[in-house]
Amino acid sequence: MSSITKVMYTSRCLGNLCQRLSVINLNLQQSSKNIPATIVSSSQFHTTPKRFDVMEFFDDKKHYGENEVKHGRHWEKDELRIKSNQDLHKLWFVLLKERNMLKTMEHECNEKMELFPSPERIDKVEMSMENLESVVRERNKAYYLLETGETGERPGKLVTNSLGINHYYKASEHVIPAYMNQNWFKSRQHFRGKAVRKFVLLYRERLYNEKRKAKNRDRNQVMMLMRRNPNLDVSLLREKYPTVDIDKLIRNDQIRGHYIPK
Amino acid sequence: MSTRWYPIYQRGGPQLRVFLPNFWMKVIRPTEIQPENVVTFSCSMEMSKPDIKNYLEKIYNIPVVDVRTRIATGPTKKDQIYGYVTKADDIKIAYVTLPKENKFVFPDLFPQSAKDKKEQDEKSLEESKVNFKKYLDRNKGRPGAPGWFSI
Repeated sequence: MSSITKVMYTSRCLGNLCQRLSVINLNLQQSSKNIPATIVSSSQFHTTPKRFDVMEFFDDKKHYGENEVKHGRHWEKDELRIKSNQDLHKLWFVLLKERNMLKTMEHECNEKMELFPSPERIDKVEMSMENLESVVRERNKAYYLLETGETGERPGKLVTNSLGINHYYKASEHVIPAYMNQNWFKSRQHFRGKAVRKFVLLYRERLYNEKRKAKNRDRNQVMMLMRRNPNLDVSLLREKYPTVDIDKLIRNDQIRGHYIPK
Repeated sequence: MSTRWYPIYQRGGPQLRVFLPNFWMKVIRPTEIQPENVVTFSCSMEMSKPDIKNYLEKIYNIPVVDVRTRIATGPTKKDQIYGYVTKADDIKIAYVTLPKENKFVFPDLFPQSAKDKKEQDEKSLEESKVNFKKYLDRNKGRPGAPGWFSI
């Protein structure tokens, strides 16, 4: 009985944070409604003691003026994958608070011309946040694919901009459709002018030249290497310079040095 | 990311829900003397006043009476050699008023005791360096003799 109350108590403590954030809603959570993973995993879920004060923006007092602060590693994706959505949601806010605290400390250290102890903590928190977000994204994708047959990702496409260069456009919602949008239509009037065509021509020429020169450089490099080292391993060269046609060089006798072959 | 792709708000539409807020806030030392219940924050540029109020109340459980914000211009710097001017990004600064009875004093993050300790450590390091130098000099004239050997 006591163990059950203990588990209930810990889960309630952790639930507090989420209850306060009741405004925040997630359609993902609906998918995990039937999984009773919260109580099980919450016993393995460690958080710092709650203070609920402006002092939460500052580090522990024992770390003031330290040269180094001992800390762990970041959260791996595999560890996050086995957590429930609720746990991930709570962990996000733990990480968010930690990042705010570290940023506050770093700012004050910079102001006072002091060294910020263990600055890699910020990187680790940010890596954890990135991993967490990608795990949530995976779940989102799976949920959407199951329910709607689409990924639910932000749609996008390759479009040409006013300079005639292609770029990836991330679609966004608009109040009115494109054919009704006069301003958008007007802004695209000068897209295909003479100047743009000329620019694109020169730009593409530059790109082509860069590519051509790189290819020639590689070929000359291979020729030089094979000329100086007659016993060189050709398979290694092939691996390193995949664009160069080594057989052709050999066939055309372009790799012979200025000496009498033995 | 799909969780970062928010729908456009139109009148009558549902209120925007944020699942994983990515805003940051940090407490900064105020440049001017402020009343005791005013805390100065630096925050993400995208945050609005209601955002800041909600952020502090919901995530940190800090009661907020009033929020005032301003955008501070980032400092410009002239290059010493070439003379071109670079400008740092603008920052948003928020002055958050807490209820009258709440008081906040910016803590001293570099207490004197820690500074003293650091100084002492540095001093002992210097001392040991000098001693090692002495030890090397002492054995300079007799190569091959072991370190423990002395007359």
